[in-house]
Amino acid sequence: MYRSRTARSVLLVLSVTLVAASCGSRDSGGGNSNAGGGGGNGSNTIDTANCPDSATAGISGGTITLASSFPQSGLTAAFAQISKGYKAYFAAQNDKGGVSVAGKKYQIKVVDKDDEYTASKTATNINSLVGDTGTKAFAVFNVVGTANNVAIRDDLGTNCVPNIFAATGSPITGDPNHPWMIGSTLAPYTLEIKTYVDYLKKQKPNAKVAMLLQDDDFGQAYKEGFTQAIKGTKITLAQSKTYQAGADDVSSQMTSLAATKADAFIDGATLLACPNALKAAKTSGWNPITFVSGTCISKTLMGIAGADGDKVLSATNIKDPQNPAYANDAAMKDYRALLAKFGAKDVDPDNGIVAYGYTQAAIFVKVLEGLKTLDRPTLMDAMHAISPMTDVGLLVAGVEVHTAADDPYLAEDVQMVQYDAKGSHFVNVGDVIDYEGKTAQFTPKDLISG
Amino acid sequence: MQLFFDQFMNGIGAGVVFASVALALVIIYRTTGLLNFAQGEMALFSTFVAWWFTDRGLGVVAALLLTIVVSFVGGAVIERVLIRPVENSKSPLNVVIVTLGMFLAINALAALIFIKPGQEALQMPLLFPDGKTLGMQTATLGRAGILVAECVLLYLLLQKTKLGLMLRAVASNPESSKLVGINPGAMLMVGWAIASSIGAVAGVLAASRGTGSFDTSLMQQVLVYAFAAAALGGFDSPLGAVVGGLVVGVANSLTIQYIHALEGIELVVPFGLILVVLLVRPNGLFGRNVVERV
Repeated sequence: MYRSRTARSVLLVLSVTLVAASCGSRDSGGGNSNAGGGGGNGSNTIDTANCPDSATAGISGGTITLASSFPQSGLTAAFAQISKGYKAYFAAQNDKGGVSVAGKKYQIKVVDKDDEYTASKTATNINSLVGDTGTKAFAVFNVVGTANNVAIRDDLGTNCVPNIFAATGSPITGDPNHPWMIGSTLAPYTLEIKTYVDYLKKQKPNAKVAMLLQDDDFGQAYKEGFTQAIKGTKITLAQSKTYQAGADDVSSQMTSLAATKADAFIDGATLLACPNALKAAKTSGWNPITFVSGTCISKTLMGIAGADGDKVLSATNIKDPQNPAYANDAAMKDYRALLAKFGAKDVDPDNGIVAYGYTQAAIFVKVLEGLKTLDRPTLMDAMHAISPMTDVGLLVAGVEVHTAADDPYLAEDVQMVQYDAKGSHFVNVGDVIDYEGKTAQFTPKDLISG
Repeated sequence: MQLFFDQFMNGIGAGVVFASVALALVIIYRTTGLLNFAQGEMALFSTFVAWWFTDRGLGVVAALLLTIVVSFVGGAVIERVLIRPVENSKSPLNVVIVTLGMFLAINALAALIFIKPGQEALQMPLLFPDGKTLGMQTATLGRAGILVAECVLLYLLLQKTKLGLMLRAVASNPESSKLVGINPGAMLMVGWAIASSIGAVAGVLAASRGTGSFDTSLMQQVLVYAFAAAALGGFDSPLGAVVGGLVVGVANSLTIQYIHALEGIELVVPFGLILVVLLVRPNGLFGRNVVERV
């Protein structure tokens, strides 16, 4: 009896641990983007009163060191492909002699560690790469994940280390209380939802909408963004269902949603739950206007969905490398040529998130080139004063990168795209939609400073 | 009513996987009194092996059968190499900790061996065609059929063969069985081997849900549900494991449909069920009372 009782109590404790472990959040990452350049004009300067005296730390001998942390093993290791995009771009710049900042050429070096998408590991990694006092690297670049960026923002803020292009669509990247962090060109989740609602307003003004959401902040951002976006419209929420982060099987949720026979379906799932949901909808004989999360438009996930993903809509601001319409696009040709020469052996140029990483690097370099002096406060000021830049990296034509002191979101122009299952790529639908400066307006306050 | 029926069948479809993993847990628990926390990840590894065979051009059924054999050997090796050395230590916790180590190690190893950089997921050919038979998803029926076949084979093995008799003898009384010439060590190894094979079936069933895509998280939540199923049915009862698995699957599915207040915490329902069952029947629905001679 002793044995089985011990066993049973151990079981209970471990089951709870397992549940907790399997509930880790896994949003963000996908393949969205938008860019702009410029330089600091110094009109709105970041508060450096409490900063240590380390404005130029991490620059030595003509090399700027950037630190990063992202999943390189485990379930979300695919996100590591982003880094292959930006590293190739930096390598190409270094090969040309470096990036020219305030009259001097600098090499760019990236040091990174694997965090397996675990926020506590991200904090440890960044702490060791940047140092306790923030002197070992000049800036942090493109850390992947919402919780992961939240885990490092306080320390980086205290040490006044720029956290550049946080790879998350969470609107928290625009939190004015954390001016040392800035998001990337991934469209904020709330902006993405607004795009879908606006599309429905035109195509189906009385639409009843069903939503599948991940049971965490990621799903919450979609839900709250949706609730705000439908105010004053005739669009209604038929039903929303959540699934636990980490679960792949959403058939029960989908049976439930399909039974509503809603006119539109927002598949807010990410990773494998996303294509599984598309298939379950088809199996149930439900054919709504379907939108998928920007985190789901990767080559692999849509490839898995296959025919079940045909005609689904999404929003992005990066050119899909698989779209044949871009085969002769100059920027796309440059991208492929650069990756062929400077890319890692295992880089897949067709993968949208590589294109995303490449674009972040291109924007960063442009901002650097516009700096009058190379130091951290000047960089952050410039990041918050990017005068509209277009056609940087693989930004969709017409998409502007633009920030201001009161508008920290880079990517507020989006392109609706539609999946062509036969050709296995997305095609652009309509023109670029300009939401410049409006993210904060579309986003409930608690999602930004929550 | 159609909705209720559809959700019920969704529950069965998921429950089949929980039941299979629970069955594997029970087989090991019966022969060794040990809870194998690595069961889910062993099944995951088997699933990758099955995928590897299909990737080499084998049909999915042939791949599954081959994987069952490979897993049988693998399970035996794990018992011999990793479990045996700590089995006789004073605290049963030592073995538990070894299985927890295996939980992490096997998962990492599977990713290392089978997943190429940048790959988000692998795709297993579907075991059953899409579409409906008798108003039900063909796949759900097929999966239920596999579970039934699994149970029948296990029953025949345990009840009708000499090997089964020896396994049961060791489970019921290791010392007496030693006296009649059974090698308990060999039987423990066979127990692990069988559990590993059952796990292989569970893994392939889990992977072939929906689009057939899977990644290294495949079995992590399944394991939690499988433990719930085994606790519900009784840790020493194979029948209990199967019934428990199906009950947990259906309960989960119906909760998602009908109990909106529990949205996002559907796990509460199976765990609530376990609590109630354990209060009334401490050894689970089908478990036996352990009587010890003083």
